[in-house]
Amino acid sequence: MVTLFGKRIRLFRPRTIWIRRIVQWFFFLLIASIAINHTLVENDMGIPLLGSASLHAVCPFGGVETLYTFATGGLLVKKIHDSSLVLAAIVLLLSILFGPVFCGWVCPLGTVQEWTGKLGRKLFKRRYNHFVPVKIDNILRYMRYGILVWVLYVTAKSGMLVFEAYDPYFALFNFWSTDVAWSALAILGITLTLSVFVERPWCKYACPYGAVLGVTNLFRVFSIKRAESTCKADGACSIMCPMNIEVDTKTVVRDHQCISCLECTSEAICPVAKTVVFTSGGVK
Amino acid sequence: MTLTAKPLALIILVFLLGGIAFSSAMGWWQTESTKIPVTFSEGEFAGQANPVDIRGSYTFGDIANSFNVTPEILAQAFGITETEPASFAIKELETIYLDSGFEIGTASVRLFVAYYTGLPFDTTGQEIYMPRSATDILLAKGNLTAEQIAYLEKYTVDIGLNTESVIVSTSVPVQTSSEISEEYIVKGKTTFGELITWGVSQAVIEALINAPLPDSATTVKDYASANGLDFETLKPALQAEVDKARP
Ligand code: SF4
Repeated sequence: MVTLFGKRIRLFRPRTIWIRRIVQWFFFLLIASIAINHTLVENDMGIPLLGSASLHAVCPFGGVETLYTFATGGLLVKKIHDSSLVLAAIVLLLSILFGPVFCGWVCPLGTVQEWTGKLGRKLFKRRYNHFVPVKIDNILRYMRYGILVWVLYVTAKSGMLVFEAYDPYFALFNFWSTDVAWSALAILGITLTLSVFVERPWCKYACPYGAVLGVTNLFRVFSIKRAESTCKADGACSIMCPMNIEVDTKTVVRDHQCISCLECTSEAICPVAKTVVFTSGGVK
Repeated sequence: MTLTAKPLALIILVFLLGGIAFSSAMGWWQTESTKIPVTFSEGEFAGQANPVDIRGSYTFGDIANSFNVTPEILAQAFGITETEPASFAIKELETIYLDSGFEIGTASVRLFVAYYTGLPFDTTGQEIYMPRSATDILLAKGNLTAEQIAYLEKYTVDIGLNTESVIVSTSVPVQTSSEISEEYIVKGKTTFGELITWGVSQAVIEALINAPLPDSATTVKDYASANGLDFETLKPALQAEVDKARP
């Protein structure tokens, strides 16, 4: 840590939150092994100690999809189990406290999009993640709420997991199975292709669960806050933000798209110590 | 309070993994269907299993555990000739009836169970197809309302054991028409349950044996000899009723 022109600047700082990558890898491998083992169990070849849960059983969005049928008749939508409701409750609590950390740290589909995004970053350098004109981008970002309403409506009406046929997350971990609809595989393919140009396109524009969790950004307990007094206004935080949030123009990030990845903070890209922080209190 | 990445990572892991461990300890962590349908929460049938919650992963045996219908009756209704009908998973019905052009699957089983057991089932706006064999059993039970009979008449399809397309797509052995008619012949090992499913009403049987209907698994011959009746006299009388019910 050195002081330059009256500002404390860290000389050797990590450019990324490496522990987030480890947590992402952990959950990716966990979900992948559960999905693979489910297929093995169905073929009488399950790996001992690994549960035989289906992918739906370990997806918290199932808990949201089934809320209507559960509240009105005590029934769970077909293929959804109690574990989805448990996970939905845990993730909601986490989000109220820390924002959509599920999206930024846990969701394997987000992780895979980040991995493909690395290729885009290499190819397009600074142009990466800035291809979509801002006006169109701003409108498209509300599309996920429309998708959420549609999913909840069709699920409530049919009592079936209609979204499964379009769900790239289900396709990602079941592409080898005949249970996956071509539409879901196509959406997964489009998502991965687009993520070479745009960071996390599914999360930004289409994810109905991201839409639910995104709302917690408006009132979460811990938020990203920027101390104006020490900020160098170099814009590094905004450039680094995968969700294109202009952190350098805000004192508190309340954007509905923040995924609490902490990549904008002084622990990662921001060169000035204690300037962009993740806190429940205030900053100067 | 300010959080950095490491404590946040720890909190996420503790919340998720700890939450799962806690819910397991409380018995809330169910990743598989319990194979027990939810029950009606109110009204005349409160506390009884609700056929609407029967799922594709259930076997005939699972259904028998929650409803008053045997795996054998279900197998007969849906043309399944497996040696152990209790282990037949109802999601397989859709594959079996795929070539028939009609969607006969979990919804058909739900409807069958509801009508067979007299439990409420809302068919509004639904087109639930039923194989003829299932409808025959339901009609023979004689507990349907006029509305339910009309619904069945509308959605019963003449496919089943004697439908080639179905037989070809399953492991069900092909039966010739003579073999099928053989099935409806009263023999020593014929049970009262079979007579009911062949369309002979409970009242007719009770009139012929002059006693309340015995257990459905009891064979006619055993019953006759245990109760001093002449099986050779009873047999043609019962056969005449079977022939009337299945012209
Ligand atoms: S504002 Fe910061 S924490 Fe939120 S998504 Fe952008 S980089 Fe991540």
